[in-house]
Amino acid sequence: MENNNVSLAQDAAAVQAADLTKPIPQKRKINRAKLQENIWGWIFVSALFIGTTVFTYIAFALSLWISFTDYDAYIMTTFWEGLGSIHPDGFWHWYQFMFTPEGILGIAGESEDFWNTLGTTCFYLIGIPIGMVLSLGISVLMTRDIKFTGTFRVIYYIPTVASTVSIAVMWTNLFGDGGFMETVFGIDLLSAGGSYWAQRWCVIILTTWKGLGGTVVLFVAGLNGVNASYHEAAEIDGANAWSIFWRITMPQLYPTIFYVLVTSVIGGMQIFVEPNLIFGNYPATGNMATSGTRYNIPFVGYIFGVFNNGEWAHASALGIILAIIIFFLTLVQFALDARRDKV
Amino acid sequence: MTEQVLLSMEDEVLENVQSEGAAEETAAETKERGKFGNAMRKAGNALKNFFKRIPSYLRTALRVFCGWFGFGVFGGPSNKKRKKIFFDVIGYVILIVGGVTMLYPFWWMFAASLAGPTYNANGDIATNALTNMITTIFWPANTSRFGLFYNYEQAITLLNSAWQTVTIGGQAYAFWRSVINTLLYSLIPVTVGVFTSASAAFAFAKLDFKGKNFVFFYCLAAIMVPFPSIMIAQFCVYSSIGWTDNGLAMIVPGCFGAIMTAFFIRQYLYGMPTAILEAAKIDGAGYWRQFVSFVIPLAKPAIMAQFILSFMGSWNNYLAPQVFITEDMWKPLTLAIGQLDTSYSTDVTNAPSVMAASVLALLPILILFAIFQKTIIGSIMLTGSKE
Repeated sequence: MENNNVSLAQDAAAVQAADLTKPIPQKRKINRAKLQENIWGWIFVSALFIGTTVFTYIAFALSLWISFTDYDAYIMTTFWEGLGSIHPDGFWHWYQFMFTPEGILGIAGESEDFWNTLGTTCFYLIGIPIGMVLSLGISVLMTRDIKFTGTFRVIYYIPTVASTVSIAVMWTNLFGDGGFMETVFGIDLLSAGGSYWAQRWCVIILTTWKGLGGTVVLFVAGLNGVNASYHEAAEIDGANAWSIFWRITMPQLYPTIFYVLVTSVIGGMQIFVEPNLIFGNYPATGNMATSGTRYNIPFVGYIFGVFNNGEWAHASALGIILAIIIFFLTLVQFALDARRDKV
Repeated sequence: MTEQVLLSMEDEVLENVQSEGAAEETAAETKERGKFGNAMRKAGNALKNFFKRIPSYLRTALRVFCGWFGFGVFGGPSNKKRKKIFFDVIGYVILIVGGVTMLYPFWWMFAASLAGPTYNANGDIATNALTNMITTIFWPANTSRFGLFYNYEQAITLLNSAWQTVTIGGQAYAFWRSVINTLLYSLIPVTVGVFTSASAAFAFAKLDFKGKNFVFFYCLAAIMVPFPSIMIAQFCVYSSIGWTDNGLAMIVPGCFGAIMTAFFIRQYLYGMPTAILEAAKIDGAGYWRQFVSFVIPLAKPAIMAQFILSFMGSWNNYLAPQVFITEDMWKPLTLAIGQLDTSYSTDVTNAPSVMAASVLALLPILILFAIFQKTIIGSIMLTGSKE
């Protein structure tokens, strides 16, 4: 009893002291339902959360770490050995190395590979605006009041689902020396010794052809979502079809266009399979013959070639640079989007 | 007299006012249109002058000609129905030309894969199989003399000889092994991954828990990290724990789900009424029960579409197995075709077999797409997501 009283008194004193400084912290009602919801919510997302953390973020951090080492597959045997060996020339060695010109004449050696393969990737990005304009035209035709639009949609979507490897094999023969395009149209884009501009255009034709269907389906969805009553109002006010399209349809289609642009730039910077299968690895692995050069192999192909040659630290550093470029491109697009919203 | 004067004055005043108004309007218009607009206007005026100078017999001809298509030119009658038909025909022509461009390469591929060499009277090869293959237009000049689908058998034989270590009971089965591997790499991770993604989507769309927005954007930001920049670290870890020798590197990561799949299903679930789940909750169903017996059946179209799309993505995946799989035993079909392509694509006798293997890799996906095209395209159009 006494003890109890004492403790009660102490409690009271403590409460009083607390009163002076801050309001009494209200005892939180434990809402069982709320708690359940919290726990189950976390259980449901846990797999995705752990997967993203481990396979993306931790992998990215590891990649960053590897890019500071001199991890070479042909010199070091275990992963831990590689991780432990910070590059003797300093942390930033690979980042300096990729911008290092060789020789007196400036661009040669490592930085030549770097800038030219990056330039090739950027050139391949030309396919994005071409594809968007084409698919916008096609989707406008498809949303007209005509029959068989569903069938056309399916037909245009087929190349999108088709296996890229098969398509690349087909493309080599279609556009190659003496191939279909040469026998019928006299176009030869892939002949040995041909200029690399033709080879690049060949890849752009492939990516545009293959990517058209997905964009068309998205644009058709966007165009169907455009509010028809605006159209009618504009028509009654005497607007012609051209100004209706630019003043009413396009602004409402803008979110779709923005989505397509962002995703295709992210994807386009990572273009790899098509040129790599058509031209081969660059830098060449071992003694394998390849027609891949720094003018037709994109940046990811270059990373892959460096990786194949066992220079894993170097390849990691190149990968980090790619991630930074993609991050900034996405950021710029979102910034432009935000500015447009303000205006 | 006075009245007339007054009236005429009024008219003048009115005219003045009107003309001033018109002048103001044009000034405002030119301001709004800017340089480009002015240039367009000038061009329009030039065009008008040009039309004025057209001789009358040509005008009549043009009026009749355009009138037939429903365009009212030079005072001719405009016909809406005719006009629509005109534009419809143009639309159809463009769409059909585009559709042929989309479909023809697949036909070409199939036809070319059947090519064989042409023999002359002595039984020697006059034109080799490679030439016959690539000069195909609708049908190869000569199909193989060992049967129409000889190249398909040959593709399997060639791959078996390329990857000789892949045997079962002394029998080489590299080609079918690669098909099995492809199925393993696409069915297991996609089934498990779509399930985990759907559960995450359910939590994102219908549950309210602490840190929901954080987790969502944390996962969404991961799509900005490109695969080529993380594949090397992943490869190093996988190879040090032995996953590159047994294909686990292609299976385990996919089982944790993908944010784009979750995002897609979440969009779908937003459109689903919450009342059903609340009714289930009142009847005593826990969250797991809600997910398994209500959300999955109700979101079936979205889940099916995502399943098929992910399946196709895994089936067509090339870079990941190229990096992660080091043993021939565990290589998928895409790598098999890549191998055939690098070894035989310029081989004068075996080149059609490479094409045949490509057709084999393409066929299951095309059949799958043909069966589920309504679900796939419908779902993409519904939620506006490509992958």
